[in-house]
Amino acid sequence: MRAKKLGRGVGALVAVALAAIWAFPVYWMINTSFQTPASINRLTPTFFPTNGTLGNYQAVLDDNGFLSALGMSLTVTALVLVVCVAFATLASFAIARFRFRSRKAFVLTVILVQMLPAEAMFIAQYKMLASVSLLNSVLGVSIIYLAMVVPFTTWMLRGFVAGVPVDLEESAMIDGCTRMGAFRRITFPLLAPGLVASGVFAFVQVWNEFALASIILTENEKATLPLWLRDFAQTSNLGVTEWGEVMAGSVLVAIPVIVFFMIVQGRMAQGLVGGAVKG
Amino acid sequence: MTTLAAPAPPGADRTAPAKPRRRRRSSLPYWLIIPAVATLLIGMGYPVAWQIINSFKEYGLAQQFGQPAEFIGLDNYIALLTSAQFWIITARSLAFMALTALITMTIGIAFALLMKAIPAWSRIVLQVAMLLAWSMPIVAQMTVANWLIDDRNGVVNYVLTEVFGMDMLGHNWLIQPLSFFGVAMTIIVWASVPFVAFSVYAGLTQVSEEVMEAAQLDGAGRFQTLRLIIMPIIRPVLVILLLLQLIWDLRVFAQIQLLQDFGAAGERYDLLGTYIYGLGIGQGQFGMASAAAMVVMLLTLGVSWGYVRSMLKEDEQS
Amino acid sequence: MKKTMLSATAFAAAGALALAGCSSAGDDEPTSTATSTSDESTPQDITLWLAGTDTPDALIDYLKTEYADVNGGSLTVEQIGWGDLISSLTTALPDSANTPDVAEVGNTQAATFTTVGAFMDLTDYYDELGGDSLLPGFVEAGSIGDQVYALPYYFGSRAVFYRKDIYAAAGVEVPSTLAEYTEVNAAMKDQGVGGAYLAGRDWRSGISWIFANGGDIATYDGSSWTGSLSSPESIEGMEQWQTLFQTGNVAQPTDDDTTTYSAINDEFLPGTPASSTLAPSWATWTLGDYDEETEGYVWNPETFGVYALPGVDGGTAPVFAGGSNIGVSAATQNVEGSMDLMRIIFSDEYQTMLAENGMGPANLDFADIYAENSYFEGVNAVALEAASNAKLTPAAAGWASIEEAGIMEDYFQAVAEGGDVAALAAEADAKINELING
Repeated sequence: MRAKKLGRGVGALVAVALAAIWAFPVYWMINTSFQTPASINRLTPTFFPTNGTLGNYQAVLDDNGFLSALGMSLTVTALVLVVCVAFATLASFAIARFRFRSRKAFVLTVILVQMLPAEAMFIAQYKMLASVSLLNSVLGVSIIYLAMVVPFTTWMLRGFVAGVPVDLEESAMIDGCTRMGAFRRITFPLLAPGLVASGVFAFVQVWNEFALASIILTENEKATLPLWLRDFAQTSNLGVTEWGEVMAGSVLVAIPVIVFFMIVQGRMAQGLVGGAVKG
Repeated sequence: MTTLAAPAPPGADRTAPAKPRRRRRSSLPYWLIIPAVATLLIGMGYPVAWQIINSFKEYGLAQQFGQPAEFIGLDNYIALLTSAQFWIITARSLAFMALTALITMTIGIAFALLMKAIPAWSRIVLQVAMLLAWSMPIVAQMTVANWLIDDRNGVVNYVLTEVFGMDMLGHNWLIQPLSFFGVAMTIIVWASVPFVAFSVYAGLTQVSEEVMEAAQLDGAGRFQTLRLIIMPIIRPVLVILLLLQLIWDLRVFAQIQLLQDFGAAGERYDLLGTYIYGLGIGQGQFGMASAAAMVVMLLTLGVSWGYVRSMLKEDEQS
Repeated sequence: MKKTMLSATAFAAAGALALAGCSSAGDDEPTSTATSTSDESTPQDITLWLAGTDTPDALIDYLKTEYADVNGGSLTVEQIGWGDLISSLTTALPDSANTPDVAEVGNTQAATFTTVGAFMDLTDYYDELGGDSLLPGFVEAGSIGDQVYALPYYFGSRAVFYRKDIYAAAGVEVPSTLAEYTEVNAAMKDQGVGGAYLAGRDWRSGISWIFANGGDIATYDGSSWTGSLSSPESIEGMEQWQTLFQTGNVAQPTDDDTTTYSAINDEFLPGTPASSTLAPSWATWTLGDYDEETEGYVWNPETFGVYALPGVDGGTAPVFAGGSNIGVSAATQNVEGSMDLMRIIFSDEYQTMLAENGMGPANLDFADIYAENSYFEGVNAVALEAASNAKLTPAAAGWASIEEAGIMEDYFQAVAEGGDVAALAAEADAKINELING
């Protein structure tokens, strides 16, 4: 037992060291965001923002694109995420629990679609949205993003559904539940960690996309955050990167994601406790 | 093209298991997949069809601006498959994919196992650090990375020079293609490990304490427990994660594109994603770009076919 | 505006002209050119795409107000990031329902879009919009034969920014020939007090050595383009550049143009400081002494100076001109509105505003205002002097592909690393020939 305790202690130290490595770039981003151009441009890096400035944040918030981009990104991401998780959960239940005609074709399609490079389709996606007047609209970009993340989410969730023993559902059905009822009451709560992991992924995908967005969201007030940040980094002061402002922008773009992650982390714990069915 | 866009070519089900475990054939599964299928059809149907058709056409900027696009049969494909450039970039992409996916999976699984074995406080510290890393938007990640390795006053060169005594001031990490891809790989691994670690950890939480204790009582060692008890349970998750890492790392686009935006541009720094983008948007050769995308898809399928097949098979038997 | 017209002569001639038109800058009345049409036309709501945030907000506001006055419709302006410009234009320009009516495009991209017919033929309006007073090299980039499609929007030029204090300490004078530029920098580097900042991959600056020796990137024989980096003149120029790089330079072969904007500021380089840098004229924003108050750099004429890169036999060396073109989308449904906007852009008022804001005006009749702009501390005068010799990249359909592939950057870097110029030039020419004709 002592060896085990020691092992846990060493493990904890290793974990903290790894945590430091993983968090360093984030720290550096935050550190830089509080510095003046002078201290950033010095040859010796400034490791702590002791003489910090909020000027960079002021500059970002003064940039009229930021707030509208934040709104746009939040709307699109929320819409896509909710619809995607709903659709994918249903589909993953179907392929994990049922044998049906064309099941295999569906599974293959889901895999193939993910293997298809998106970079050659931008023109076609533009034409498609243009033909139904959905350029520069939340709905248009959401439709394409949804098709982008549903296959993955379905695919991911299928593994989690398959990981829940089917016997649990069957015994619930013997107790009088319908098929869907058994899924909803027994399996769904156990899926919480999987839902969080794959939902978070879908979120990150959508939140990050910029190549397609740059083509179909050409109105400045419709730009999403990555688009805004990219332009902001490229255009600040005629070709010179204002690292402080760009880092401040990066921090502000990351904050909604951190908040979202914190929220679902809590949910994940609840799901774990609530669905703790001992196999 | 219909096999891609439409989910149900007749006869696709002929390898379905002879003795279905679910006795009743209900219509429920069809209702369940309708929303997902509709999403794919609406969002992808037209673009995929367009891409397939135009991969057989001479479709350049002139055609985009109204010239009629002529069918040229397999010319695009032939030009592509006989181009040394394409094969060099393909080989480079495959190597990049294999290495990146392998490193990501190894570190990710190790992190998950570590999290399972350590006290809660330290697990939370690691989880928070990973969450922070993971929550960095890609554009921000790449911007920060570029700032870290800035040749003149980036902190990486500074620390290497001042702390480790190497003469790295002024060293540009993005010029040597190998170094460029090393940087890209480091960033991608750094950014993907949290996802793998959290997913594997979520899978591990499905392994109940009692099973673990029973295994230990039976005298199973650490490694045996891992191999015989834990791995089989989280296997479905691992299989999917690995496949996904392979697919994503092969079609990686955003990180490479953004890294190129920061300086080193050109074909020496291309992987398939940026190559296709460069062909299409950059050079306006949309027919070629479409053909390249189709080839890459088939290539990905070819590379992962054994894997996909065994997974499908296993899936049928479960 | 024949293709054969030499930009140099036109620039020189224009520079000598003092034009009366600019005196009307303060008038509230739109000029005659801006009101001459649309007698009873219906108002049209149009969209203008500008590249990046180069055009100041005040100018955008002016365009909107003027357009509302002249046309009655409303003008929407979208700023498209430079990195997204090609992809956005490629998808939107052919789409008549969503095309911007008027669009700015980088001068090196103008030829690509013009050749495929993305822009409306403006030949009939050419004289009205400024005619031969418009920047000839840029007009050429937007023309096919005698038809004009895309007009110049603004230009920037390159000049040598230098540290007077370092030059004085080293006891050297501003050089008057290209060979002297090398000598002066080698002398400073020998003393360890400074050197030229010559970023290895910054071909847009380095190309001046090729131009100065009479070389070129590519030549047009009437039907197709051929790379000419391996012509004797081009090789001569590149060898001079290589010598300079190896004897009088403090930058790395792997540096690119992003660092040239601030290279001569204090504490920029470890070791030997840079005593001069060849940079676009707008680098005045980022060069100077750091000011804690405004957190910006302030140009200090005591220590900072500027001169035009000297030519082989004195005078000024031709430099690469930056800037952009502007055209009316061929797919626009609002031709009248678009032309109203074009007339506003090429009006005396707007050209004056461009010049006053440090952007080289498309219409050279306003070049004096640009040159005399006091805010830029005489830099513009030098820039204009250099611009009198400015050259552009080949107006070839495949030029965008060459930039996309990074061929020029790689060539310059390889030369900077000390490779054999003739062999490297032949290699680069082969790559250029593969792509340049589209």
